Amino acid sequence: MLVKRRNGDTASTGRLSQMANAVSARPLDRRSFLRASGLTVGGLAALGTLGAGMTRRVEAAEGFTDMSQPIEIRTNICTHCSVGCTVKAEVQNGVWVGQEPAYNSPINRGTHCAKGASVRELVHGDRRIKYPMRKVGGTWERISWDQALTEISEKMTEIRGRSGADSVYLLGSAKFSNEGAYLFRKFAAFWGTNNVDHQARICHSTTVAGVANTWGYGAMTNSYNDIRNSKTVIFMGSNAAEAHPVSLQHILEGKETQRANVIVFDPRFTRTAAHATEYVRFRPGTDIAVMYGMLWHIFENGWEDRDYIASRVWGMDQIREETRAYPPEVVERITGIDGETLRRAADKFANERPSTFIWCMGGTQHTVGTANVRMYNNLLLATGNVGGEGNGANIFRGHCNVQGATDFGLDVGNLPCYYGLGAGAWQHWARVWDVPYEYFVGRFDAVAAKGGRDARTPEQNMEVAGITSTRWFDAVTIDPEDIDQADNIKAMLVFGHGGNTVPRMQDAQRGMDALDLLVVADPHPTTFAALHSRTDNTYLLPICTQFECSGSRTASNRSVQWGEKVVEPIFESDNDYAVIYGLAERLGFADEMFKNYEMVQGKFGMEPTPESVLREINRGGWSTGYTGQSPERLKAHMANQQHFDLVTLRALPDAPEEIRGDYYGLPWPCWGTPELRHPGTHILYNTNLHPMEGGGAFRPRFGLDRDGETLLAEGSWPAGSEIEDGYPQFTYGVLQQLGWDTDLTPEELATIQSIGNNDPEAMAAVSWSLDLSGGIQRVALQHGCVPFGNGKARAVAWNLPDPIPVHREPIYSPRADLVAEYPTREDGRQQRMPNIGLTLQTANLENRVAEQFPIILTSGRLVEYEGGGEETRSNPWLAELQQDMFVEINPADASSRGIVDGGWVWVTGPEGGSRARVKALVTERVGPGVAFMPFHFAGWFQGEDQRGKYPEGTDPIVLGESVNVITTYGYDPVTGMHEGKVTLCQIAAA
Amino acid sequence: MAHNIHRLVVALGLALTLGLFAPQAIAQVNPTAQSVTEDALFEALGNGGSVTGRITIPDAHAGQLIAPENRVWAALQGETLHTISIWAVIGMVALLTLFYLVRGKIRIDGGMSGRKILRFNAIERFAHWTLASTFIILALSGLNIIVGRTVLLPMIGEGAFGTLSAWGKIAHNFLAWPFMVALVMIVVLWLIHNIPNKVDMEWIKQGGGLLKKGVHPPAKKFNAGQKLIFWSVVLGGAALSFTGVMMLFPNEVATFADWQFYQTIHALTAAVLSAIIIAHIYIGSVGMEGAFDAMGSGEVDENWAKEHHSLWVEEVKGDTGSKARPHPAE
Amino acid sequence: MARLKFLCDADRCIECNACVTACKNEHEVPWGINRRRVVTINDGLPGERSVSMACMHCTDAPCASVCPVDCFYTTDDAVVLHNKDTCIGCGYCSYACPFGAPQYPQTANFGTRGKMDKCTYCSGGPEPDMSEVEYIKYGSNRLAEGKLPLCAEMCSTKSLLAGDGDIIAEIYRERVVTRGYGSGAWGWRTAYGETVTV
Repeated sequence: MLVKRRNGDTASTGRLSQMANAVSARPLDRRSFLRASGLTVGGLAALGTLGAGMTRRVEAAEGFTDMSQPIEIRTNICTHCSVGCTVKAEVQNGVWVGQEPAYNSPINRGTHCAKGASVRELVHGDRRIKYPMRKVGGTWERISWDQALTEISEKMTEIRGRSGADSVYLLGSAKFSNEGAYLFRKFAAFWGTNNVDHQARICHSTTVAGVANTWGYGAMTNSYNDIRNSKTVIFMGSNAAEAHPVSLQHILEGKETQRANVIVFDPRFTRTAAHATEYVRFRPGTDIAVMYGMLWHIFENGWEDRDYIASRVWGMDQIREETRAYPPEVVERITGIDGETLRRAADKFANERPSTFIWCMGGTQHTVGTANVRMYNNLLLATGNVGGEGNGANIFRGHCNVQGATDFGLDVGNLPCYYGLGAGAWQHWARVWDVPYEYFVGRFDAVAAKGGRDARTPEQNMEVAGITSTRWFDAVTIDPEDIDQADNIKAMLVFGHGGNTVPRMQDAQRGMDALDLLVVADPHPTTFAALHSRTDNTYLLPICTQFECSGSRTASNRSVQWGEKVVEPIFESDNDYAVIYGLAERLGFADEMFKNYEMVQGKFGMEPTPESVLREINRGGWSTGYTGQSPERLKAHMANQQHFDLVTLRALPDAPEEIRGDYYGLPWPCWGTPELRHPGTHILYNTNLHPMEGGGAFRPRFGLDRDGETLLAEGSWPAGSEIEDGYPQFTYGVLQQLGWDTDLTPEELATIQSIGNNDPEAMAAVSWSLDLSGGIQRVALQHGCVPFGNGKARAVAWNLPDPIPVHREPIYSPRADLVAEYPTREDGRQQRMPNIGLTLQTANLENRVAEQFPIILTSGRLVEYEGGGEETRSNPWLAELQQDMFVEINPADASSRGIVDGGWVWVTGPEGGSRARVKALVTERVGPGVAFMPFHFAGWFQGEDQRGKYPEGTDPIVLGESVNVITTYGYDPVTGMHEGKVTLCQIAAA
Repeated sequence: MAHNIHRLVVALGLALTLGLFAPQAIAQVNPTAQSVTEDALFEALGNGGSVTGRITIPDAHAGQLIAPENRVWAALQGETLHTISIWAVIGMVALLTLFYLVRGKIRIDGGMSGRKILRFNAIERFAHWTLASTFIILALSGLNIIVGRTVLLPMIGEGAFGTLSAWGKIAHNFLAWPFMVALVMIVVLWLIHNIPNKVDMEWIKQGGGLLKKGVHPPAKKFNAGQKLIFWSVVLGGAALSFTGVMMLFPNEVATFADWQFYQTIHALTAAVLSAIIIAHIYIGSVGMEGAFDAMGSGEVDENWAKEHHSLWVEEVKGDTGSKARPHPAE
Repeated sequence: MARLKFLCDADRCIECNACVTACKNEHEVPWGINRRRVVTINDGLPGERSVSMACMHCTDAPCASVCPVDCFYTTDDAVVLHNKDTCIGCGYCSYACPFGAPQYPQTANFGTRGKMDKCTYCSGGPEPDMSEVEYIKYGSNRLAEGKLPLCAEMCSTKSLLAGDGDIIAEIYRERVVTRGYGSGAWGWRTAYGETVTV
């Protein structure tokens, strides 16, 4: 028993003390004092009310838990980064009164970072958008949901009639639940456009492209937990300590118990680097040269894994050949890293295995982002470090559901689950949605011939990737001749997406001003609501957070976790499902779109249950193995978290039957139907396990051979495989050839017959990813085979620009001497837009831009904030910790400019006279000639405080200049990823 | 020529740029092995060093992580100053009691003459009493801060003591200002009379006549003893004022160490001055017949004046134009 | 009886500030008051280490020895608590504290700091355990619920340890032996007059 009162209180002797004690036994607080009017007690005690107001920490104790009342526990998932920390909420009378450590979660084991530990504030947030609003004559005014949705849909229809369906841009969010993301993608399909995107574009789109083109799927191969097995860990362009803090729990414990090497390659000495065993500084934007530099030592010393390469990798010889162009002195000239350091790193990575390679936006946000990623993969493949415990490409994703939103096709080039945009994909989803394919053809625009490009029929237009979120503003203001669709972008529907996360904010502002319609649906007004000077046709819809609705979300390690609604949506906010339904209803396609769902009465109207949406996903997501994760299984996992192993994530033998043997969160691919009880896949491409136990192989999705060499695995197969060699993907035809078609049940066969229209040839072509019965998958697995086949990873991706990656200087390169030798790629057209990178790089060289702007500017995260930061900057618990936007500058650069730590400076950029007024943080964290700015700030624009532009009471607590005012042009040719990590700037004391 | 210079500049610029990114043989950076440790850090900082670092919250003091020296001040404040304060007060009271028992009340040898001389005018008395009353409250409330918890708390209990202390703190903070005004006033009014001179030497030699009956060394308006009080009050008061103001405005005081230094000086000075003032109060009241009138009504008996301030009486009587001219008693 | 302590394993601390916001969340600590904070030594240099710091609940707490109104008291678990009803906001404890723990609602001059607030080791104050009045004045009382301070429970990397001093010292010692390095039990010598030797 805790005794808190002072023992043996000395204050009880003497008459005076007794008298005084009698009157001052219980000092009053202000309220009770006022109630007593100061008359019922006298003497010193009455005076005791002095300063009582100061005693009260808070006026309203909204975090108080009344132990005499019942407490409900609800589990949800943190809505910030992708680690997927379980949030345990204590709810009393519908109020979220406390956050408790969720010790049972194998992912976070009770812990959080600053953001996770403060999520309760999100549902108390007085800075949230409280009701729908529209701007009339420049003033925000309150309207009803019905009025808002009706006006928006009328305007959308009007714009559609004038400029076509493609003129409405649907910007979705990595903050959606899986069900929300899927519905939003489906909404775009029913509206008739591929102009639908989300934050993955600007975080890991190049990863997805690079990784999927190498070995099949665009996702993290292992898990945060599995890094505990690693003997060598390389971080490159990843500051996980700030961006994924809870992952460091696994990594640091692994580092300690394995005495692992932790090598951090970063231009900036990050908080992650502070815990490394080796920190290597290099020039931003030279990752490819760094990778070749390491490969040079690996090939030179014969450290490559020859057996692995021979059996599971195609094209490594071509990489080895290219490596000759990057001897140590060349690499040092490009990157600044000496040969000895790279040799040491290469030695450890190749020889102290298992080794894992972790990258983030330091690697992806480049004009060479996809190529960077492919070089990371090549390092992994050369050293045999993919497909086993403790190794792999551990791609730490950014938002809580950026993996899920990517999986469900909030992407200009995909339908849900990476089916692409081909006719087969449309037909597949049309079948799942139970809507005729022709319906969708009827919804899409025909595009007239222009700018020397051919005309497109609606059917062709359906298969053309849309405009990326990095270029939407260009698509608003560009000459209509130059945009490869019917008309410019005229309307933006922005769900849960910041406006300050993409470079060239001056242009973004012009784009916002030029739109005919701007709709922002978000818990907080983002920069999309405040940056511009629009006066009308601008709507704000209050969306609740994921804590105010249910649904599943996919963490970076592909584990799918079910989040339970903690409280009802606060104020007049409502969930994504209801709002998407409300719009679809008013646009006239709700009946078709929502016909498969269980509809319930929501807060302001009908809405689908997330369970029924997930069940539809289960019926269609065969290609990615999103079929086994039924709502029931996911809920059972959440309820039994304590039974999963910390390292393998597998439910232990003593776990309840319903989850026994499963991997936590059924990480995709979780093959077959839920009834098949596939455990999910903890580690992708792992041949050490039976596919039915989570084993796999590289996915052969680029043909069967190339240049006369097979693309199927040679001498490598997953444990238990009845085919002891490489094999292509399974189709009904393959099953027939193997004689395994007889294993199909009559029901399964009937489904295949129906998909193939009873035409034997068409039936034979029905593949594991189109078979809605799951029979083909089931039978393949039953014979120890991976449904998608057993192929080789590609070191060379012939279908991409630079099949063999080469170093290319950034468009705003500080190294005039290298630009001529390593220019950026030639101009071209991608995703309906022109890309004039080379023209700009050449002009920069001629104009000596690097002389006027001699400092490299790079950007990144702070632990307290996330993304565009409006949500986190509105949370006082977080905002207090980072109150000023700043630029990190090396002491040498600062002293030569008369800049002092904490002083105001102007950072100026090379495009459009851009400038930002920020505080200087003078530190050796950045090297000489390099500056760093975090990307979470907005609300100041080139010296102007825009606080007044936010609707009253919704302005975030902390405002500041956005780094993306300064950042510049530059787009990856594969995915349209912006160049967020290398530009040039000048800094001067303000 | 100009062309050549331009080329030179470009070449230099290029060399500089290259130099910036030039390959340098860098030693291996192993942040784990190079990690700072607490032991090594304190060794490097030496005695009295405190561990500081960077923090993002805008609180200048928050960056200080560990300041072991604060414990030294705490011991000084909680123990040493506590003891000194108690002993200064108790010691002086004991001393005066002893003195009283030995010497008794110092009488006017010649008895009351019945004639009064104006010794302190209204302004002087206002200044004195303002200073005196504020000092007493400041001293008591200040003393309470140091010793109240061991002296007063056991007597009146926690609640009453807390309330009293809260009011005491407010009184202390606000009454400091009239105290300082009065201090300035007495400096202006009396400085001229308190410059030490030869007469004071004689007065001191004779022990101020305090120890022996019938001995009355000559003195002007203020004798050496009073001058000692004056200077103690002025210098001590000034020290208290300065350190007090510094403590009242902690944001303007550069460091915690500075504040601690001011607090120590403040408390020490207060203890010493309190002891002196207790003696002053004693001699001005129960200790000496006729002395209180000087500050009470402002008028003193002529015989008292002649005995204690003979030179001053001569001065005053010689100066017929003065307001201080003696006048017959009623 | 347990002797409760904090120990921040700086070789695990990544300055994620979870401890800071967990504290804010648990006790609804207002803006400007930081019961816990994370300070980074050698910021930006190899050798950088971050340390999470709050009241260390010292042995022979210096705050208690200077408090004019004697508002501090030490529980049987060796947690140093204070009584806000008695506190006069003089600020003396903040100058006595080696760890910068005492916080005030105002940083204003003229003695207008308001009542002192600091880490309670999640164990409230002299009011009845888990009462609303205790919550309002001191925050929640996890210890009374049988839980440890939330800052340590939520620490992202399990760097911040809370619990019986002997047990957490043993955990730290084992870690140092396993990994082969340790930057020390920051603040222990100053707070407890002893450190963890390995």
